[in-house]
Amino acid sequence: MKLEVGYIPIRDIQFGPTSKVDGNVLYVNQDELSRLLLQDEAIESVALDIARPGESVRITPVKDVIEPRVKVHGGGGIFPGWCAKVDTVGSGRTNVLKGAAVVTAGKIVGFQEGIIDMSGEGARYTPFSTLNNLVLVVEPKQGLAQHAYEKTLRLAGLKAAEYLGKLAADIEAEEVHTYETLSLLEGVRAYPDLPRVGYVLMLQSQGLLHDTYVYGVDAKQIIPTLISPTELMDGAIISGNCVSACDKNTTYHHLNNPVVQDLFAEHGKTLNFVGVIITNENVFLADKMRSSDRTAELCGYLSLDGAIISQEGFGNPDTDLIMNCRKIEAKGIKTVIITDEYAGQDGASQSLADADEAADAVVTGGNANEVIHLPAMERIIGSIDAVDHIAGGWSGSLNEDGTITAELQVITGATNELGFNTLSAR
Amino acid sequence: MVKEIERAGIPVVHMCTVVPISMTVGANRIVPTVAIPYPLGNPASTPDEEKELRRKLLDKTLDALSTEVEDQTVFE
Repeated sequence: MKLEVGYIPIRDIQFGPTSKVDGNVLYVNQDELSRLLLQDEAIESVALDIARPGESVRITPVKDVIEPRVKVHGGGGIFPGWCAKVDTVGSGRTNVLKGAAVVTAGKIVGFQEGIIDMSGEGARYTPFSTLNNLVLVVEPKQGLAQHAYEKTLRLAGLKAAEYLGKLAADIEAEEVHTYETLSLLEGVRAYPDLPRVGYVLMLQSQGLLHDTYVYGVDAKQIIPTLISPTELMDGAIISGNCVSACDKNTTYHHLNNPVVQDLFAEHGKTLNFVGVIITNENVFLADKMRSSDRTAELCGYLSLDGAIISQEGFGNPDTDLIMNCRKIEAKGIKTVIITDEYAGQDGASQSLADADEAADAVVTGGNANEVIHLPAMERIIGSIDAVDHIAGGWSGSLNEDGTITAELQVITGATNELGFNTLSAR
Repeated sequence: MVKEIERAGIPVVHMCTVVPISMTVGANRIVPTVAIPYPLGNPASTPDEEKELRRKLLDKTLDALSTEVEDQTVFE
């Protein structure tokens, strides 16, 4: 499967009479986009706003971040199963509005959405402070149940990203990246001497608004399977998560998975990037056992020499992570796990809920319990009143002067377990 | 908590869903439960079925509590 991804750099977003891309500016007709979103009868109102890098702006409660993309040719459409039919994606040509994002905001759960600051201390912790963000604040009709509100906001974000992405269909890209995954046999023939490396991508699937979708299918209903890494770049996997903001994978993360990017960068040079195995993180022990068994079987079937395993979220998924690691290592396949830590505010507690000797190569996204201080912002997009209840916050987190004292986990993407964050010990 | 109570000489049964974590933590008597969000119930069941489910789990747990164990034991 071969995909060309064309980057059209976006350096500003403006509201204007016609939605279009002109130079490096993305213009958005507010009324047109609002009307499109309001076709969902569950929505009471939509407020569109723009947040640019460096502005004194705080966006909260953030649900998802989505990159606008469009399928130029090659079959299927972006976000299959949602905005397009379920045809297989990942081949041909896709254009991207690089540097722009749709951010969805709304108080669905209250304590499980996040914060994006566009400047100051908080901006250092989230990669999304570097993007030009079109923010959708979506208010539901009165009485709409939480799970229905989640779905409504999820779809609103995807629709808006699709709407903006389409503006890039006929624009010449400044940069084009090509990614190709060979079939199993072709790969063996092409790179007989390179180590075979696979990527085990764990998807949050605990239910109760902790869900991820694959071609429209709820990931808790999947049996671990193979997927081409280029399918991720076309939105085959999307986030339906309301969970601690720091280490959930937004849809933007799935589209731009840095593990996939780095493995492709080394593909054919130092290793043979064989493919991606997706698995889930369910709440029944039998599911955890079955999924980790199947994942290890697939790794063995692919004759991998090494596997990189990334986790999503924390707590009981630590067990899924360790089971995957232990069972894959038991097949003689080396593993590296990517996780993050809940080691207490002083960093002295046990970092993960589970452990095993097989997990001897670990990359951490950081300690989510670390306490940070965020300055007041001139403008709030969304509403600030959830901050005292947000996971990582506490009663009194939001000070009267608008400053915030809370744990790092309040910030969207801060300790991301794909490595799509800026924390480093170096 | 399981370990500290046992250290005081009182036997403990850990009822939990994620048995591997209970094993890692070092519980000696483990009774597997239903699911992480509802260890001792099941919203898909009727109230009568749930009562039955709870009674069976509790009976099993009381049996486990009064069973001598040599090593970490999961009471399936």
